[in-house]
Amino acid sequence: MSQTASAAPIDGVVTFADGLPGFERCRQFVLVSSPALQPFTVLQGVDADAPAFVTIDPRLVTDTFAPALDRVTLARLGAQGGETLLWLAIVTAGDDGVATANLRAPLVINPASMRGIQLISLDSPYRIDHPMQAA
Amino acid sequence: MLVFTRKLDEAIVIGDGIEVKVLRIGKDGVRLGVTAAPHVPVHRREIYDQIRAANAAAAAARGGVEDLVARLRGRVAPVPDRS
Repeated sequence: MSQTASAAPIDGVVTFADGLPGFERCRQFVLVSSPALQPFTVLQGVDADAPAFVTIDPRLVTDTFAPALDRVTLARLGAQGGETLLWLAIVTAGDDGVATANLRAPLVINPASMRGIQLISLDSPYRIDHPMQAA
Repeated sequence: MLVFTRKLDEAIVIGDGIEVKVLRIGKDGVRLGVTAAPHVPVHRREIYDQIRAANAAAAAARGGVEDLVARLRGRVAPVPDRS
């Protein structure tokens, strides 16, 4: 089991070998963090027409976030099991003004290998549209 | 689409080494077992479609991120300091 970690900045290109569902051809992303974006981090596709996603440390959304990673997923991340992995949840601003975070399919990045995946586990206790409450 | 009739414990093989086997046939559904190499992702279709739709809804065009962050600001619940 790898530890969850707070969002340490990552420099360089992160490769999502499978892309993200709906954006399977976008495989190269950079993480953009800045004081102006806090507490969010932006996952920006490298290609000219690639999308950007606003993300957040899932533990800022729910302090009970403790997902499991199986051995196969760790292997896909090039992780041995002891690495500190970066977890991010994609945030959606709904038209009704309600912001939600996708805890059902979080992003997991291994800074050591610069590989990332969007985790789609067969079973998850978390919601794809976890409401984010105003502070 | 290829269509097969399979009975209990019968399987189909897809490509090199992906097997889908009928494990149980019940009133409410069919239980399938999938054997595939570890690097082959296997998902429930409706979950994958949900995540695809969620990603599409969340995707911002280049240059639209700042507006989105401005709309989102203040929507993070405070997390108790556990340090």
